[in-house]
Amino acid sequence: MSEKLKEVREKMLGYMGRILRVNLTSEKLSEEQLNEEVARKFIGGRGLGAKILFDELKPGIDPLGLENKLVIATGVVTGIPFPGNSCHSVMAKSPLTNIWGESHAKGFFGPELKHAGYDAIIVEGKATKPVYLWIHDREVEIKDASNVWGRLTREAQKIIRSEIKDEATQVGCIGPAGEKLVRTANVLFGFNHVAGRTGLGAVMGSKNLKAIAVRGTLKVKYAHKEKLADLLLAKLADKEAVRGPYWPDALYKIGSLADFSYWQATGRLPTMNFRKCLFPGYEAVSGETLAASGYVVRHTSCPYCYVACNRAAEVHHPYEVDPEYAMPEYESLAALSSLCMIDNLAAVLKAIELCNKYGMDTVSTGVIAAFAMECYEKGLITKEDTEGLDLTWGNHQSLVQLVEKIARREGIGNLLAEGTKRASEKIGRGAEEFAMHVKGLELPLHEVRGMKGHGLAYATSNRGGCHLQVETDDLFEGNLCPEIGIDETNFPQSVRDKLYAGPEKVKLYKIVGDLFALFDSLVVCKWTVYPCGGTKITTLAEIVNAATGWNVTISELMKTGERIFDLCRAFNVREGITRKDDKLPKRFTEPLPEGPYKGEAFPEEVFERMLNQFYSLRGWNKETGVPTREKLEELELGYVADSLETLGLILPSPQIKE
Amino acid sequence: MRKLIVCDPDRCVGCQICEFVCSTAKEKSIDSSLSRIHTVNYEPLGNIALSCVFCEKPACVAACPRKALHQNEKGVIQVDETKCNGCGWCIRACDFGAITMHPIKNVVSICDLCDGELKCVKSCPFEDALIYSDLEEVAHKLRRRSVVKLLQEFVGKTQGSA
Repeated sequence: MSEKLKEVREKMLGYMGRILRVNLTSEKLSEEQLNEEVARKFIGGRGLGAKILFDELKPGIDPLGLENKLVIATGVVTGIPFPGNSCHSVMAKSPLTNIWGESHAKGFFGPELKHAGYDAIIVEGKATKPVYLWIHDREVEIKDASNVWGRLTREAQKIIRSEIKDEATQVGCIGPAGEKLVRTANVLFGFNHVAGRTGLGAVMGSKNLKAIAVRGTLKVKYAHKEKLADLLLAKLADKEAVRGPYWPDALYKIGSLADFSYWQATGRLPTMNFRKCLFPGYEAVSGETLAASGYVVRHTSCPYCYVACNRAAEVHHPYEVDPEYAMPEYESLAALSSLCMIDNLAAVLKAIELCNKYGMDTVSTGVIAAFAMECYEKGLITKEDTEGLDLTWGNHQSLVQLVEKIARREGIGNLLAEGTKRASEKIGRGAEEFAMHVKGLELPLHEVRGMKGHGLAYATSNRGGCHLQVETDDLFEGNLCPEIGIDETNFPQSVRDKLYAGPEKVKLYKIVGDLFALFDSLVVCKWTVYPCGGTKITTLAEIVNAATGWNVTISELMKTGERIFDLCRAFNVREGITRKDDKLPKRFTEPLPEGPYKGEAFPEEVFERMLNQFYSLRGWNKETGVPTREKLEELELGYVADSLETLGLILPSPQIKE
Repeated sequence: MRKLIVCDPDRCVGCQICEFVCSTAKEKSIDSSLSRIHTVNYEPLGNIALSCVFCEKPACVAACPRKALHQNEKGVIQVDETKCNGCGWCIRACDFGAITMHPIKNVVSICDLCDGELKCVKSCPFEDALIYSDLEEVAHKLRRRSVVKLLQEFVGKTQGSA
């Protein structure tokens, strides 16, 4: 049944050199070679996934249908002991947005997958009954999952582990929400690592694939092992450098929750479905309160990293919160507290716990709950629709029940499980106006009226409303990166200001957009690199070169980043995305009602001007938002241009000049 | 009293940095399978790093059929690589899984305390997660911690009932 490659990886350094293809319909398993040229051009992670999905998916397919494919890819640095090098990417056409879907998780799964023999897995088709994949040292089995189907995420992981009888096995699985095709379903890897966004758990659910279990003891060959050891030791000698300039120690003590107080203090904490920007009840739910509450029972880390930003929380009263599922991070906490006006910490932790139990994205769930609360306030949904649930702002009992209803697709939950965009269209009567999403992906918790560059990033991110395309403006105010031209001369303090919306800001966001596309392909944790962390881009290039024996330069890597960014854009263009989709929710054109930035808005003309500049910097057609042939050819993506031209998406006429 | 490397499972986060530092120091390689200290991640209970505990009556020494192992005055088990033929009886005899087979040399390797320059302990990023200490010190710390915890619970309860 299984087709194995003959040994081809003599030359391939830094990678395993193999991709596993699993067809669940035919149960055919095969190995393919990872071509070195492809590896150098697309690196891994997001880049490799984009290449595979652009080449193999037909445009317009149903993301929950037979034709969608799920790709899990590691990158060149995955598994090399160095802080931040333990990530992997999960990708497919997203059932939430109908465009490019990707999410990145950290932890032990990525390195384990690589050591099990594969740089990436492609899952196609649909199994006739629930199954899970068991991959160990190039042995692959499709196993019956009927006894774990319907189980909560961690329960399923434990059962699978005990079946396999190897404690070191890493399991990535979906929960009941993924099985029920909730469009915001996530994939949970091990104890506390989640590929949360864009509903990829539903793609697994649609394929009857409950889980993927991996165990590996194979070794990756590196070109210069000693160099990698030196780089690790040098890094360890400089501990502050990884925690970075932004949060010297807070990342361990408070974690990403430090953001919560920061946004509140600077008047940009998304509150009441982005209607307000200061949360009166913030003190009750802040990271500092959590740290002092005694709820945090454990800190955990990813391999090779000494930040240990993860924490698990346990509560007994008034809610029973299981620490195996309650992993509060800023986005989760803010989405389920300030955005819904909930000021009960235990309830927020309970809601996070339920999301992870059932396998649902916490950010999307929070935004959906806030949307439902606003609909309720405006009378667009009534107590009849909610089966008696009182969705008044701040009602924490209702929030907790609502999360469970969404996860089980019960009552009103069935509608909300479709995501904010679909739900708002169905409800109608003006609900679309306050559905806070871009391209269908619920917005993360950053108030873009008070940071203009980030607003542009929301609107132009390839996976929809996303805060990880580029970081927030605040981080660039204090952090420079001369290696890629972000220095005082090119970008003086005045243009790095969070409210500045001129051409230099657009340029900054274009450069860092490419950089982050590279990070997602290497795949590194964004908290360890510019602008959050202290690992230099030169060091990353050194790691890549020491691992592979290549001699990549920073400029080659940046070009690779741009190539990957544009390839994902091309994927979206093929799915019908044009300039009209690159927009922000209307609410951001209204001024902020309070706080230090009171009166600050994101006027449409400012946004349109930024978008024009962004397109021209990217070499995209200004009318359509489609990358031009010249640009694609410059990025060695000529075949992508051909494919877009065949579909009539690239205009034959030369680009209209400004 | 003998001193040993002690890992506190409440503080260890399972980052594996000690493993890579050890393999780099002892074998010039970033390969955790060559490390003489091993992290065990037993979710959700926690993490712990294990290495040789320098037993008073080492079972490994007794188990070696070729007398390749010898315990010195500090308690360190020394391996005579000319005698060891990689049979692995010592690995099976050790209760802690602290002995590693070198996959290339096919002889066993055991923590030798790096001549007092403890690189794993020094590089551990988390305060008090990995320490070099004698057992009385460890016991003293544990006593203190449990007393603090008990008192806090006591104080918490009395405040709660008030």
